[in-house]
Amino acid sequence: MRITENMTSAMVQSMLNQQQENINNLEQQASSGLRINEPSDDPASAQQVLNLQGLLAAANQYSTNIQTGTTWLSQTDSTMATMNNVLTSAKELATQMANSTYGASDRQNAAAQATQLRDEMISLGNNQAAGQYIFGGYAGSQPPFAADGTFSGTDDQVNIEVDQGSYVSINYPGGTLLRGGIPPGSSGTDVIGVLNNLITALTNNDVSGVSSTISGLDSSMSQLQAAQVDVGARENRLQNDANTLTSTQDYLTQAVSAKQDADYTQVLSDLSTQQTVYQATLAVSAKFSQLSLLDYMQ
Amino acid sequence: MSVSDIFQIGATALSAQKTALAITGENIANASTTGYSKQTVNMEAGSTILDNGIPVGSGVQVESISRVYNDFLQQQLMSANSSNGGYNTQQTQLQSVQQLFGTSSTSGLGADLNSFFNAWQDLANNPTGSAERQEVLTSAQTVVSDFQQLSSGLTQVQSNANQSLQGITSDINDQLQQIASLNAQISQTGSQQGGAANALLDSRDQLLQKLSGEVAITSRLNSNGTVTVTLPQGATLVDGNSAATFSLQADSANSGFYDVMLTPPNSTAPQDVTSILEGSGGNQGELGATLAVRDSLVEPFLNGLDELASNLATQVNNLQSTGYDLNGNTGTDFFTSPSGSATDTPGYSSQINLNITSGDQIAAAGKNDGTGDNTNALSIADLANASISIGGGTSTLDGFYNSLVAQSGTAVQSAQTGATQSQSSITQLQQMIGSASGVSLDEELTNLTTYQLAYQAAAKLITVGTEMMQSVLGLIT
Repeated sequence: MRITENMTSAMVQSMLNQQQENINNLEQQASSGLRINEPSDDPASAQQVLNLQGLLAAANQYSTNIQTGTTWLSQTDSTMATMNNVLTSAKELATQMANSTYGASDRQNAAAQATQLRDEMISLGNNQAAGQYIFGGYAGSQPPFAADGTFSGTDDQVNIEVDQGSYVSINYPGGTLLRGGIPPGSSGTDVIGVLNNLITALTNNDVSGVSSTISGLDSSMSQLQAAQVDVGARENRLQNDANTLTSTQDYLTQAVSAKQDADYTQVLSDLSTQQTVYQATLAVSAKFSQLSLLDYMQ
Repeated sequence: MSVSDIFQIGATALSAQKTALAITGENIANASTTGYSKQTVNMEAGSTILDNGIPVGSGVQVESISRVYNDFLQQQLMSANSSNGGYNTQQTQLQSVQQLFGTSSTSGLGADLNSFFNAWQDLANNPTGSAERQEVLTSAQTVVSDFQQLSSGLTQVQSNANQSLQGITSDINDQLQQIASLNAQISQTGSQQGGAANALLDSRDQLLQKLSGEVAITSRLNSNGTVTVTLPQGATLVDGNSAATFSLQADSANSGFYDVMLTPPNSTAPQDVTSILEGSGGNQGELGATLAVRDSLVEPFLNGLDELASNLATQVNNLQSTGYDLNGNTGTDFFTSPSGSATDTPGYSSQINLNITSGDQIAAAGKNDGTGDNTNALSIADLANASISIGGGTSTLDGFYNSLVAQSGTAVQSAQTGATQSQSSITQLQQMIGSASGVSLDEELTNLTTYQLAYQAAAKLITVGTEMMQSVLGLIT
């Protein structure tokens, strides 16, 4: 092939351009730390990265949801423990007052105590978590229990999403817990009703009436304990979900990084190779363009 | 044969070598001129005369000065120029489409859609919270503005392409006019091989190469030295000394975009060549690619966006209407309702807006049972994971958007590949043309020496002739 000076210089220019472009690409990767700086760098991986980022954003949201759920359930759990203590005191009082050694005035005092216990129970039923009444069901913005123990909430389950399509209920319906269903006593023990009976029996100095509430208090306690076990189980479930979610988040973060991050070792070694090639091209072209017949003509 | 014949022969030799030296000089002078084709002097022996029955030559004469030229390579180069012009235009325009879709995975419509659905999850965690309700509204507003910005950005790319047609066609007209006038000069010069015509031929080749980057053309050399330029599909652009003209005419049927009209040489009746230029195979050169960007390449992204917006609005509105807001009323439309088909209203992405104005109007409740009911908020939040039939396939809303982003990347990538490949075939062809037609200084220096020595020898011939003549004259005294 016949080679002219113009061809040589055009060839050198195009090679130097190409090499500078390569170096520029590698420098962009090195400075941004990303292998994919624009979707066109690798459209398929760019799409996967976006999908993974979407999953990651969802996982972060599920994690927030689980925190909300944990707050509700642990508040419910500790409230139930306190309720249990209240019932224990009520049972002690009932057991004591069922004994005929106590007189009418003792029972009057005990009636005042029992009223205190019932009121405490109702006030516990109006406990809140994050501004919401935890036993109110869907009617979570007003106190679910009136002063006389009337339940105005709903028995609905409030669900949160803890993973795609997977829901956990974060409340325990107050009507079921303290009134044995709606209407009271329709599906379980009416705890407030039992306490009211105790107060009435004590006020009336009715010893047999007092002793007959003891079995009601027992079944109230077992109703509360069963509820507490249920809530505890859900707390455990949330804890497990949170753990799973953490490893999912780790995995997703790594997967995103693997797809879009530049491999520094590779980039830097490529960069140094390219620079060497660039220098070699410069050196060779400088030598080559010195060669001319003119040097040998007088 | 007389002694004076020697002078005659010497004189032809001096003249021929002088011409050759001048052409060598011309070549050296133009060694780095773009588009210059090397010229060579073709000499031939003078006519033979009979001297006492013996044939003797009568010196040398310059038969022609020719231009080293390869029409096949020039045609190939034109076609590579057309591809390159087309792909470069596509690449530039599609880059701006890709830019609109966002180069980062943590911002843009996709990320904002995720935030929108996450805001519904937050609302489900606290259905009565006014902050959570406001957050849903705010993130929805962001999604709405994203749609509007993307849509107007894409429309802008189309109208920019439309505007740039003015510059391109006037540039093309200018060049067609110049080619026609060069045709006239070349045919007047008569001898296509003369030195003056060679320079004109080089300029015309240059113009043809430049023109081919802007519009795909084919050219045919005629016997009178003129060149006929046509579109690959046949319409004539230059015929002899007259040129066709491109003009633009707004087409109300195509959003007021321009139709490209062509008035053929020696005619006054413009024809619509838009569909020819952007049709298959014509989608080349800056002109064809600009039309393609305007009419077909950006379109799928706009359609996808409209479909995404319509689906989002329809799905959210449907669920919203099955729920109850904070005041116990049935939910009203969340987004302005798409007017066309439920899943695709053309142009909807530019019109989508919020229909509700207050956070209280968000229907988080599924039953009219209490404000703590979050079931409808959960259902709407779950739209994020719902696979729907969209864009001819099944995908989630976010997944569909991601595939649009990937499509914009693929479009840029394939234009880039095309541009790189056509650029390397241009380089390759230019090297081949350079190899055939370019000036090699070493070669010219060698020629310089050859012609110089021949000139010296011819001068010597005349000296010898003079001496011979003197010897003859000496006989007289």
